[in-house]
Amino acid sequence: MSFREKSAWISFMSLLAVGAVWMARVSGVAGGSRGNPMIEFLALLVVLVVLEIGLHVAIAIQSPRDARTPRDERERLIDLKASRVAFYVLMAGAWASIGTLHLGASRFGVAHAVMGAILVSLLVRFATQIVLYRRDA
Amino acid sequence: MGKTIHNHIRRLRFEHHEMTQQDLADRIGVTRQTVNAIELGKYSPSLEVAFRIAEVFAVPLDRVFEYGAKRG
Repeated sequence: MSFREKSAWISFMSLLAVGAVWMARVSGVAGGSRGNPMIEFLALLVVLVVLEIGLHVAIAIQSPRDARTPRDERERLIDLKASRVAFYVLMAGAWASIGTLHLGASRFGVAHAVMGAILVSLLVRFATQIVLYRRDA
Repeated sequence: MGKTIHNHIRRLRFEHHEMTQQDLADRIGVTRQTVNAIELGKYSPSLEVAFRIAEVFAVPLDRVFEYGAKRG
């Protein structure tokens, strides 16, 4: 597995794990938010950043040569294709978030819906990258 | 009948002292995975990379890539 594919897997899994915790908190599945929601959100963001940096450092130590190599044309194309797919998901999510206003959602509800749309679009982006890397392997 | 791009990179590497994919990748400025994808016909490189490959093997471009009927 290439360094870039490992990187996409790390980003996907980290975001999925942190995103699932966040979703559970805001939807009340995990007992709802007990503390300040903003502090909890920032704490999860810090966990995500630490996870990403730590795991990326680990794979860079494993294959330093690949980590130093800049993205080539195929990898840039994969990034662009994945971003295009994610863009449509983000747009659909943004429109759906606006739609929640008409369903009587509070401004926090709309904000959570927008965050959810961003989260899902990023997951789709990394998942598409993984699929495209696998297809070429 | 559909046409596709074939390449002779595997044979050319063999004829150049079993040059590795990594060695070729380093010379043309792409990753080893990209050389592998080109060799397997899963990725068509840009003209620039195609010319760089031909330059490494010191052959004209049409001895590296050819456009013809689908095989197999």
